[in-house]
Amino acid sequence: MSNNFDISALVQELEPVKPLRPHIPLLLSALTTIVAVVVVIWSQGMRADLSAGKPDEMFLIRAGVLLLLGGATAHSVTSMASPAVGRSQNGWKMALAAAVLFPLAAIIVATTGDVGPALKAMDSGMRCMGYSLVGGLATAVPMIIWLRKGAPTSPERAGWLTGLASGGLGAFAYNIHCPFNNVVYIGVWYSLALMICAVLGRIIVPRLIRW
Amino acid sequence: MRLAQSGDKQAYAVLLEQAGRWLTRFFAYKIADDAVDDLVQDTLISLHRKRASYDPSRPFLPWLAAIARYRWVDRLRQTYRHAADELLDQHSDESHEDEVGAKISIDRLLHKLPEAQALVIRLVKIDGLSISEACARCGQSEPLVKVNIHRGLKKLATLIESD
Repeated sequence: MSNNFDISALVQELEPVKPLRPHIPLLLSALTTIVAVVVVIWSQGMRADLSAGKPDEMFLIRAGVLLLLGGATAHSVTSMASPAVGRSQNGWKMALAAAVLFPLAAIIVATTGDVGPALKAMDSGMRCMGYSLVGGLATAVPMIIWLRKGAPTSPERAGWLTGLASGGLGAFAYNIHCPFNNVVYIGVWYSLALMICAVLGRIIVPRLIRW
Repeated sequence: MRLAQSGDKQAYAVLLEQAGRWLTRFFAYKIADDAVDDLVQDTLISLHRKRASYDPSRPFLPWLAAIARYRWVDRLRQTYRHAADELLDQHSDESHEDEVGAKISIDRLLHKLPEAQALVIRLVKIDGLSISEACARCGQSEPLVKVNIHRGLKKLATLIESD
C-alpha cells in the first residue's frame, strides 16, 4: 500500500484521547436551559398559576412537549457526533410529531373559532420568539461544540436538529413565564419560534461543523 | 481502536495498516482507480483526527464505514474529471463481502438512490465520463443529468449512516 509514510506519521502523532460521551453536552444543554429558565423568571416573572402551585393543564402539556422535543432532539444531535452505519436516531421524530399537534390544533380551532386572543397578543408573541431564540442560541452552543469535536456525517441534518433542539429548550424556558393557554397562540407563536430556530440551525450550523 | 484511543502506538500502527487495506477494498470500483489511494489516505487522516468520536462500546467497522462513506461522498462532490481508463462494471474476486460488509458497503448506499440518479453518478463521478458522454450513454438530457447528479449526491449525504 502506498500510504506507509502517512501511517507512520499518524502513529508518531498519536496522543491518548477520551472517547466522546454524549451525556456531557446533554448535561451542559440541560444546565443552560436551567439558567435560561432562571433568567426568564428573574426578568419576566413566573406564570401566576405556576407560582401558586396550580399549573393549568395546557401549560403542563405545552411544557412537557417542548421539553420532550428539546431533550429527544438534543440526544439525537449529540449522538450524531459518533457516527456508525446502521444506527438510527428516530426519537426526535416522535417528539416532533407530538409537537406538530399544536399547530394542527391551532389550524382546526382557527377555522372554526375565535383567533382574536392569539392575534391580539402580538407583543407577547414577539417576546416569546425573542426569548426562545436567545435561549435557543445559548443551549445550542454546547451541542455545536460537541459536533465540532465529533464526526457528524450529515451536517445539514445536524443543523436542522440542533436548531430544533435548542429552539425547543429555549421555548421551554420562556414557557415558564408565558401566561397564555390559548391553543391558537401556542400553535402560532411557539411553532414560529421553533421553525425560525430550525432554519437558523440549518443555515449556520453545517458550516461550523464540517470536517 | 480502544488501545489506540489510550495512546498505544503499536496497536494503532496495526489498526491503520489493516484499516488501510480494508478501505482500499471498500473503495475499489467506487471511484477512479487512481483516486483510491488518495481517498484511503484522506479517510485514515479523518480516522486519526476524529478518533475520539469512536465509541469503544460499539463495533468498529460501522464507525469506520461511516467515516469512509462521508469522505467518499465528499470526494464525489468535488468536481473532477477523470481521464484514466474507463472502469467496467466488474467486480474484483477480492470483493466477497460478508453480511456485515454488505450492509455497510458503498453499493448498498448507491442502491438506495433512484436508478437514474445512481446511474449518472456512476457514469460521471465514478467512471469519469463527461456530461455529454453520460447523456449519450444513459439517454438522459444534459440538464437532467446535472439535476440527477446534484440530487443524488445530496441524498447520498443524508444516507451515510443508513444500512
